[in-house]
Amino acid sequence: MTTASIFRRASTVAALAAAALAATACGSDFLVEDPPDIIVADNLYTDPAGFEAGLNALYAEVRREREGRSGNNELSAEPWVIGVDNGWGNFISTSERVFTEWGANTHSQQDVFYDTWTWMYQTINAANTIINRAANPDIAWTPEERDRVIGEARLFRAWAYRILTYMWGPVPLVLEESNGTTIRTDWERAPVADVRAQMEEDLLFAEAHLPEVTTDASRLSKAVAQHYLAELYLAMDRPAEAQAKAEAVINSGKYQLITERYGVQATQPGVPFMDQFLDGNVNRDEGNTEALWVLQWEQNVAGGGSNIMRRYWTNRYYNIRGLAVSAENGGRGIGRLAPTQWALDLYEPGDDRGSAFAIRKYYIYNAATIPSGHERGDTLWLTSHPEEASDETFPTTRKWEWVDPLNVSGDPQYNDQPYIRLAETYLLLAEAQFRQNDLAGAAATLNVVRRRAHASEIDAGDVTLAFILDERSRELLTEEQRRFTLLRTHTWYDRTRAFNGRSGALITPRDTIFPIPQAVIDANIGAPMPQNPGY
Amino acid sequence: MSGSSVRRAGRLGAWLLALAAPTVLLAQQPTAVVRGTVTEQSSNAPVVAANVAVKNGSARTQTDERGEFTLRVGSLNDTLVVSRIGFQQVEVPLAGRSAVTVVMTRTAVQLSEMVVVGYGTQRREDVTGSIASVDSTRLQDKPNTSVVQALQGATAGVTVTTSSSGAEPTIDVLIRGRNSITASTDPLVVVDGIPYDGPLSEINPNDIASLDVLKDASAAAIYGSRGSNGVILVTTKRGTPGKPRMSYDGYVGTSEIVNLPRMMNGQEFAAVKCQHINDGVTCTPDQIPEALTPSEQEVLAATGGTDWLGLATRTGHQQQHTLSVSGGDENTRYYLGGSLLDVSGVALNDDFDRYTLRLNMTQQIRPWLSLGTNTQFARTDRSGLRADFSDAFFMNPLTRPYNDDGTLTIYPWPEDIFWNNPLQGLDAVDRDINDRVFTSNYLEVDLPFVEGLSYRLNGGLDNARGESRRYYGRTTQIGSEVQGRAILDDDRRFDWTVENILRYTHDFGRSDLDVTALFSSQSSTVENDGLTAQGFPNDVLTYYQANTAALLEPEASQTRRRMLSQMARVNYSFDDRYLITGTVRRDGYSGFGANNKYGVFPSLALGWNASNEAWWPTGAVNSLKVRLSYGLSGNQAVSPYRTLSRLTDMPYVNGSNSAPGYRPSTLGNPNLKWETSRNLNLGFDFGVLDGRLRGTLDLYQTRTSDLLLARAISPVHGITSITQNIGAVKNRGAELQLIGRVLDRGDLTWDADFNIAMNRNEIVDLYGNGEDDVLNEWFIGQPIEVNYGYVFDGIWQEGDDIAGSAQPDATPGDIRYRDLNGDGKISADSDRTFIGSLEPSYTAGLTNTLRWRQFQLSALLTTVQGVTRSNSMLATNQLFPEVRRTGVVREYWTPEHPIDTYPANREGVNPLAMPIYQDASYVRLRDVTLSYNLDPSLSSRLGVSSARVYVSGRNLATWTDWIGLDPELGEQRAVPQSRTLIGGVAFAF
Repeated sequence: MTTASIFRRASTVAALAAAALAATACGSDFLVEDPPDIIVADNLYTDPAGFEAGLNALYAEVRREREGRSGNNELSAEPWVIGVDNGWGNFISTSERVFTEWGANTHSQQDVFYDTWTWMYQTINAANTIINRAANPDIAWTPEERDRVIGEARLFRAWAYRILTYMWGPVPLVLEESNGTTIRTDWERAPVADVRAQMEEDLLFAEAHLPEVTTDASRLSKAVAQHYLAELYLAMDRPAEAQAKAEAVINSGKYQLITERYGVQATQPGVPFMDQFLDGNVNRDEGNTEALWVLQWEQNVAGGGSNIMRRYWTNRYYNIRGLAVSAENGGRGIGRLAPTQWALDLYEPGDDRGSAFAIRKYYIYNAATIPSGHERGDTLWLTSHPEEASDETFPTTRKWEWVDPLNVSGDPQYNDQPYIRLAETYLLLAEAQFRQNDLAGAAATLNVVRRRAHASEIDAGDVTLAFILDERSRELLTEEQRRFTLLRTHTWYDRTRAFNGRSGALITPRDTIFPIPQAVIDANIGAPMPQNPGY
Repeated sequence: MSGSSVRRAGRLGAWLLALAAPTVLLAQQPTAVVRGTVTEQSSNAPVVAANVAVKNGSARTQTDERGEFTLRVGSLNDTLVVSRIGFQQVEVPLAGRSAVTVVMTRTAVQLSEMVVVGYGTQRREDVTGSIASVDSTRLQDKPNTSVVQALQGATAGVTVTTSSSGAEPTIDVLIRGRNSITASTDPLVVVDGIPYDGPLSEINPNDIASLDVLKDASAAAIYGSRGSNGVILVTTKRGTPGKPRMSYDGYVGTSEIVNLPRMMNGQEFAAVKCQHINDGVTCTPDQIPEALTPSEQEVLAATGGTDWLGLATRTGHQQQHTLSVSGGDENTRYYLGGSLLDVSGVALNDDFDRYTLRLNMTQQIRPWLSLGTNTQFARTDRSGLRADFSDAFFMNPLTRPYNDDGTLTIYPWPEDIFWNNPLQGLDAVDRDINDRVFTSNYLEVDLPFVEGLSYRLNGGLDNARGESRRYYGRTTQIGSEVQGRAILDDDRRFDWTVENILRYTHDFGRSDLDVTALFSSQSSTVENDGLTAQGFPNDVLTYYQANTAALLEPEASQTRRRMLSQMARVNYSFDDRYLITGTVRRDGYSGFGANNKYGVFPSLALGWNASNEAWWPTGAVNSLKVRLSYGLSGNQAVSPYRTLSRLTDMPYVNGSNSAPGYRPSTLGNPNLKWETSRNLNLGFDFGVLDGRLRGTLDLYQTRTSDLLLARAISPVHGITSITQNIGAVKNRGAELQLIGRVLDRGDLTWDADFNIAMNRNEIVDLYGNGEDDVLNEWFIGQPIEVNYGYVFDGIWQEGDDIAGSAQPDATPGDIRYRDLNGDGKISADSDRTFIGSLEPSYTAGLTNTLRWRQFQLSALLTTVQGVTRSNSMLATNQLFPEVRRTGVVREYWTPEHPIDTYPANREGVNPLAMPIYQDASYVRLRDVTLSYNLDPSLSSRLGVSSARVYVSGRNLATWTDWIGLDPELGEQRAVPQSRTLIGGVAFAF
């Protein structure tokens, strides 16, 4: 073989090898990631529709309050609806134990604290992302459109900080979108006053830029901002401003209490008060003039979700011989939570809110086998009595009764529900008036609410803080974030001790504020994150 | 054999024919060159590195990794002499033949001599890294569904754990401890040279010729960024020249549940429930009914209780049949194999069927050009949904599984509809099929103008398609709530690898040089489409009616990862005494940040065959080799797209319309890069007593830094974790493997193969500031995985000074926590500590093999010692308030029975919810196999070249203190461990 032929062969082989190499070297962008299936902040928040999608998630965050922390279990609202003067844990699972038996059960490693904290800061981060990115000048929208989006996001942020401060007192105040390159381990708890100042600023911005009403009250309006401002000013001990904000809602002319029967069951026996909770009556476009904010669920729609209010509040009457699950008996509940005996006894005769239309006071025998001495169709009457664990005969509210017509014993619940009602705005107004010693004004305001329920009218001499709190319980039983109301009025410890037959003796002053989740303390290795006293 | 098995076998036969037809064997061309193959008599495995010489001549060569050789001879009437240490020498008269098959018989125990090292093979004597080779006989005659099961107890430093049981068990492999905290610790698997991401259970173990495990960085560094967890190299069988050989291997067997913990029966449950409700005080018989709900009382009276686990399980069956044809001539080698595996597990509906078809073929086209393929088609069928074992373990026995008409109840406990029927999966319609073509192909060019230079192009494809269909009708809880639910899921994988390899070898006389250079690119793409549909008019059309659904929720995703790599390796050996290997690899990975796409991984290794020195004394120690290596390897096991901040779906509704919503869910990290492991390894290979005892000792230390940590961060960020490169861990360990002939007495021999390994794992650094991370339970100076919590200090007894203790609220019968710092209170900050070790103090395996004439009996013992784990079976909250779940039979504290080991049977005994820990060490007789090889004289009379019958048992006995399903299994309320017995036959002609 000649040198030349070796060379020719060598160059052929080299060319082949080079071609093979070239075939596999796929250009400089071979290693660049461009995922076609993933939404990232940089490609979502580029137009108004992207921001609307961001806001939709915030609505879904709020809706979680009436959903389970763990599938269909652990009602997210539990920390603020039981362990108070008017609510208790009728069946003890882990999380009910925390707010019923207290003591050693209420500690920093309970999931309920971690879950609630994480939920709130997840909401805040989602809101901050919208607020920060709405400042981008490249987005094609009007200043009004932009400010409405920012206003909604800021209202959600205030909503979350409100729950955080009531749960834990001073908490870290975060106003910027979290970023992967700046992970902090040195968070500091901001004084409650600082957090509230930020909430005030956020809510005032929302008030200025949100529409006066929205078509079905499922979206945020100016009235919602004003309602929360009224409550915030009461908490900040500024009752005159609270009064002004409450009156702004009441006098806007856009909302009225439901005083007449209406809607899907208008021709059947009932009371006006309860009509607004019936599926088909809840939204503004269904005739409800009272709701400022309605939470939305929908069966068989993506994003429809489901709530567990009936599951948690309706009792386990089917454990009683002769009773089976039915729509008449209220649907399937597991009776984890119940109103206290004291709350059930608060109603005078004739008060619609304490009637059998509002409180479950009887069941109809309907099971395959009926215990001897009774007939199918007989009525089993319930009465209030001292709280004792796992009592399936305990009366409860009917506000959350709902059944799936296709599956009476089904668990999930898809009905829309009022979240903030004008009646509560009246009660905030009465509290503001009381705080300014306008007892006559307060009595008149309370009477607006009482008159609708056909309760007797009161006069100025009847008005005390205790009366206002009692009235709130009568009106808002199981709807209200009761613990927060009692903390705002510095009455949680005394009233829970006095009126909660199950937990009253078990609470201590420590329990007025919850333990910071241990995970938050453990992750904060760069600075001390002091635990609340006593934990 | 059942009718369906016959049909399956028929289908298999059809496939074999279809694939065999195009296998055209090229015609022979007469030449003065002799080609041949050397195989081992009993296993038919190739004999590598055998010396082949012309008798009374000078021409000589060695067989390659396939046992093949090519030798230029003076005449086709010469006689070849084939020799090999450990084998009897054979003389083969050519008698005019240019292709021969030489069969050798072993004389003594051997470590396998030729080693697959990645991008090539090496003689065992030349290896400088720590590489364990697993004898192919470990793959034989066992009920393995996956080839990695053959690694269990086989080699030191490779920990194989059956983490979940079932028809297709989940097998975890951990090589030399945990190098990574949150990134994967799975080794890289390379099948016939191509990285393989699929489950190894989708490859027929009977097609495997050898398994080699690269353990240290010098060996694994050639796989660079994917090497730090070790590498398993799987090599499939190849044909041998000569007469076509057809072989069959098949077994059938059954399996039974073993180690099932004793769960409460109906009576026991009723008593425990009553005691619990009665605040821990034992009930009188007439109190018990009051504690039960009406339906519980009815079940207790009617049937005494339901054995839910009994209803969810059965006797399992399994069978496997493999048929293969292999052969070839001097230019063509082929292996064609088909197999059928049919496993029915001990859980009802837990089935795993696998059909494989493999064609391995090599073709010499020109003296300088050859090509080949190793291709497997596999269909795996995992259809069928088993019962929910977690629910079945927890299910109240006083509940009804069936309605009066024999259908499953939807809510077995009418008063507590939290509980679905654990058996509802048995009523679901489920289809789960995977088809996979995995093919590794090469083209090799010898460049004759530069002696020893060759170019090889490897192309690998993994094309897989999975199809899952499931329907829950109205007889299931899931279906009844939504009027039927159909879940459809399709995924498609398309992975390719292209490797360009240049290799240069040169023999300088006393020294040898071997240089390998690689340029490769890889891409992996997985596309997924899913659809969930619910709300149907009826159940008749199962998952074929999405068009009528009330709600349709489609889902689609794509995951893509890509790599670009260059690698160079130099092996140099001098006089068979001094060895040096140097490698460097550069990898680029798409999943890392723009500034950190590439990493470089060098390594250097030295070897010294001390016993080849002239001065080496003759004596007890016949051979000694010392190896020393140091190198870097990486772990890129982080999912794609981690550098990007991502949002998650969180939709809402406007009226009855869906309102799409998104919220931030993941914090991206643009600086992500790989974990880097620096590994130092010192190894000794030795043989004593004329090779009767051989062994390997390795000592190593690995420090892995820039760990890819899914670090839990303060929830204040609104997101609770982020992937970062932080911290470092260290692994130190020692491994010893001893192989010896214990007894050698004529017909009777006894061989023992023992290995033991210990590894100490330690976090060296986390965030650079010396701080522990209590939230993640990562502590500097401790292993990555720890038991961390309060310390069990017995039970509070009556008469104890409770009021003056750290638990003033406690009552007798509660758990006493140890007040570690003695400050008079129990707090999370100061009273939690480390409890035992989750890392074994050592693991060991022992295989004993007895041979007597044609009989062989082998037994494998494995053990894991020194492990403490929390035992969920003993958790104090397992019964739930009001006893809504059941549990194991156990004793409880009562005033009359004041034990100090377990609290009272009531709520509130363990307010800090500490787990109960137990020693999870065990010794297991894992496999026992008895086989009989037909006497050659007898088999030839039957017209077969070899025949074997065998029986084998798995999980025959386990010794442990653990109360629960099994100390080896992760989840304790899962498919139980089973004992499998098989009987099989193998023959070839």
